[in-house]
Amino acid sequence: MMMTIPKPRSGARILTAAATATIAAMALTGCGGPGSVGSGSTVEAGSGEGTINVWAVDGQAAENDALKKIISNFESAQSKIKVNLKLFPSDQYTKAVNSAAPGDLPDVLDFDGPTLASFVYNGKMAPLKGSVSDATLSNQTDSITAQNTVDDAVYGVGMMNAGLALWGNKRLLDTAGVAYPTTPEKAWTADEFTGALDKLTAVVPGGKPLDLSEQYGFAGEWGTCCSAGPVIWSGGGTVLKDNRASGALDSDANVKSLTKFASWKKYTDPNADGLAFTSGRVALSWVGHWTYPTYKALGNDLVSIPLPNFGKGTKTASGTFAWGMGAGSKNGAAAGKFLDFLMTDESVRTYTDANGAPPATKTALAASALYGPGKQLQLLGDQLSKACGPEDQISDTCVSVTRPVTAGYPVVTDQVGKAEAAIYAGKDAKEALSAAARAIDQNFADNDGYKK
Amino acid sequence: MAMSKTVKPGRRGGSMKRTRRWQTALHYLILTVVSLFFFLPVYYLIVGSFRPSAEVLSGISGFVPTNLSLDNYTGVFEHLGSEATGYFGQFAAVSILVTTAVVAGSLVVNSMAAYSFARMQWRGKKIIFLLVIVLTIIPFEAVALPLYFMFSGQRDTIFIQAIPFIANAFSIFLFYTFFLDVPGEIEEAARLDGAGPFRTFFQVVVPITKPAFATVAILTFLAQWGSYLWPVLMVSDPTVRPLPLAISIFQNQQPPEWGQVLAFGTMFIVPVLAVFLVFQRWFVASISSSAVKG
Amino acid sequence: MTTQTQQIQAPAAPVKRRPSAGLSGHRFAGPLFASPALLGLAIFLVAPFVLALVLSFYRVQLNSPRPARFVGFEQYTRLFTDPDLAAAFGHALLNNFTFAVIVVPVQTVLALALAVLVNRKLRGMVVFRTFIFMPLVFPLALTAVIWRLIYSRGDQGLLNAILGFFSGGGLTSHDWLGDPTTALGSIIVMSIWQSVSFQMIIVLAALQSVPTELYEAASLDRANKWAQFLNVTVPGIRNTLIFVALITTIFSFRLFDQVYLLSRSGSVDRGSTETVMTQIINTGFDNNNVGQAAAMTVIFMLIITVIAIIQRAVARQRGGV
Repeated sequence: MMMTIPKPRSGARILTAAATATIAAMALTGCGGPGSVGSGSTVEAGSGEGTINVWAVDGQAAENDALKKIISNFESAQSKIKVNLKLFPSDQYTKAVNSAAPGDLPDVLDFDGPTLASFVYNGKMAPLKGSVSDATLSNQTDSITAQNTVDDAVYGVGMMNAGLALWGNKRLLDTAGVAYPTTPEKAWTADEFTGALDKLTAVVPGGKPLDLSEQYGFAGEWGTCCSAGPVIWSGGGTVLKDNRASGALDSDANVKSLTKFASWKKYTDPNADGLAFTSGRVALSWVGHWTYPTYKALGNDLVSIPLPNFGKGTKTASGTFAWGMGAGSKNGAAAGKFLDFLMTDESVRTYTDANGAPPATKTALAASALYGPGKQLQLLGDQLSKACGPEDQISDTCVSVTRPVTAGYPVVTDQVGKAEAAIYAGKDAKEALSAAARAIDQNFADNDGYKK
Repeated sequence: MAMSKTVKPGRRGGSMKRTRRWQTALHYLILTVVSLFFFLPVYYLIVGSFRPSAEVLSGISGFVPTNLSLDNYTGVFEHLGSEATGYFGQFAAVSILVTTAVVAGSLVVNSMAAYSFARMQWRGKKIIFLLVIVLTIIPFEAVALPLYFMFSGQRDTIFIQAIPFIANAFSIFLFYTFFLDVPGEIEEAARLDGAGPFRTFFQVVVPITKPAFATVAILTFLAQWGSYLWPVLMVSDPTVRPLPLAISIFQNQQPPEWGQVLAFGTMFIVPVLAVFLVFQRWFVASISSSAVKG
Repeated sequence: MTTQTQQIQAPAAPVKRRPSAGLSGHRFAGPLFASPALLGLAIFLVAPFVLALVLSFYRVQLNSPRPARFVGFEQYTRLFTDPDLAAAFGHALLNNFTFAVIVVPVQTVLALALAVLVNRKLRGMVVFRTFIFMPLVFPLALTAVIWRLIYSRGDQGLLNAILGFFSGGGLTSHDWLGDPTTALGSIIVMSIWQSVSFQMIIVLAALQSVPTELYEAASLDRANKWAQFLNVTVPGIRNTLIFVALITTIFSFRLFDQVYLLSRSGSVDRGSTETVMTQIINTGFDNNNVGQAAAMTVIFMLIITVIAIIQRAVARQRGGV
């Protein structure tokens, strides 16, 4: 392997030797040794006292404040455990977890639902059973438990769930004479939706009545979870089928749905300032629950509408950030107590009040002021209660789909997002999706299908 | 240049003058348009940093300095105001520390190597120097991945942020072109005074090649201050996070805090800009003195 | 600045080829002086490159507890025969070449034009020069953020707003980064904005070192300004122009930060702007295929080595560098 290195005389030989030695060392440490895999975590219960390290995404300012408040509540409620919180910019978070050596992982960490399988696969996470109380685990809503379960072991507990909707500006809708659906069953078909957009074009100042949350970037997780995902599922397609993307992602149904989606670009405000909806530039905004705290400024003009139906009923993604334990924690008991505290009704309420998310614990959801019959975000709650489970169990009547649970999710989301952005930019959908499908399958094959 | 002006045929003076005035006016016009192209984004950054986020992206009026306030700046400091997020001052300190270490280390190490190649005789020198020249074309990004593999155990240290950038083939090459021109007599005189190679280099050669050091210092500084890819790979701990990594925090707010992004950017760039304005003459002089040799 | 240049240059000619024999008494001084830098280059440039070569024969993931698997030349064969990979890699290479083919001549000519423009003693020239230099101190991470706002696709985007304003609304808003036909061009303009003044400074220094006697002679021959420029200025600074073209070529193949940051924002289609560097990082880190990324690195290095050799040979043939 080394023979392509030029072989000059004297001094250069030392260089080559040094390089070779370095490589040899690297090959042994970096990409060598088998080591423990998956669930073989090494958590120790520890004393249940002392300082625990916690990692989380540096989110919206309100979310950060809520988290800090919960932590200070925790520290004042008991005196034995201190929490050392570290926040990471969201675009660097997954990298931080992935590149941390087992000994550097924190005791407790935040993770986005679909990245869990890959974290578990790479030995970053520890199962919660034994550390977190049974009461906490059984109080989790079913869809969140499903998201946080890998190979029959629960690795995470969540304070919140997530939901998507078309937020509507009632005043503009009424001005344009557009009637809108309020329940998933009556969701607009894609063509009806186009018709509504045509009418709305006349009543908005810039002539672009729709916000598709372009500012998040389709090429990122937003594309897969919340934009391409719901479009694909609603059109009767899936991203993966039996752990393969070819024959699923590149199906004719997906080509049709995503081409339709891209045709709305001409109605779409790029919303780079994030103010398209609140400033009245657009009448409809396709985005998640997290905008509710800002969108509620519209008061009674704010309405929530299900996403358009591409043929098999409206669909949305469920699942979001949750909390788990680092695989190398030496203080599992204390970490468990902190997780128990995070899942108390009061903590969950503090957090979900800050970002408008649907609570992910049964008791907090029941007590929610926003979600539930007759309340303002009833639609999002309804959608979550009509859970489909994973992609292969989608029916016409269910609404919330769990994103593919596979350790290969990082490549899936990268390719699906890239394909969506290409289609949205006007490229041929069949071509983009086929290329993405082949790339995903190749990656899966290279990794033996991400089996254990 | 000045000389050409003196060649002035007397008879047609009047019309020449008019043409010249015309030309000068045209010259100013072109200069203004060109300067606008270069300056408008800078102006936009600074003005935007004092305006509400909502008004940053508002077409032409994005350039109009209305509703100015320090809110974005206080917002940045508020967000970066705890152990958990890290502090702005802390990020700045990391950036300054890493950049200083790289610039200082790079001046010492690369100048010595260049001096050795330019002025000393030793076996294997030629071939090794050739290798160094070949290395100037390897972009850092090309080796980032394997380098990350090699040093993943050193993540989250100041050390690992600085050390890979100290030895630099391009800097060696720049120093080399300068040292070639150092008169041999000077070294000879030093040797007769009984100076060894170290003293000759540091006390005799370095003082007369200051522009070379200024050039390398400036170029290294500019490259290092904005270093992005390597910190993204190697840093996750807020206590050792450099400035460029923190920009995205403000972009990810709901709605995006463009005002804070620009305020952060302004604080990121203004100290550098100030230093640059003060030393502009010197800066231009040193880059150009290195360049003519290319 | 002219004086300083000449100070160092003046004594150059007579002593250039004379080695300082005086130092040969210290037998190890030479290697000793060179060793810290060489060690640094060996560890942080050569070793990782060799490691890339090794990794390119493996199937290997980052941070995976699983062992790497030796696959021989598979990564290379795939890169050339797998239609998707070959197409994507070829496209990224093409983007790099397009970028270089446009940027190298455009930026060199612009640098020359700007240098001529500011090389005139006019009142207020210092201010104009300062404006033109400013972007040079901007880190690319920040440049990308600002230009993302400038290129923003709606009417609110600055560029669209300015064009709309001057055309009286005649030009409708354009998706500069999102439209595959303008995406690369937009990145080129941004790159030129950020770095052309560097090249300009170099050319400016060369302009000022062209002996004024030559211009006098030319104007006595009644050569007009343009003829003077072509016959005196350009030949006088030819070596510098070649040098500028050379470093611009190297920089354009290193293209990374701005593309990486811009192509992951908004509705941008990554394919139309992907460069080899962004593809390597994407393959290695996002798709966690280190072996594949390493193979790309190796091939890419071969390509730029060849380009650099050809370029140097051509330059030398013409008497430059």
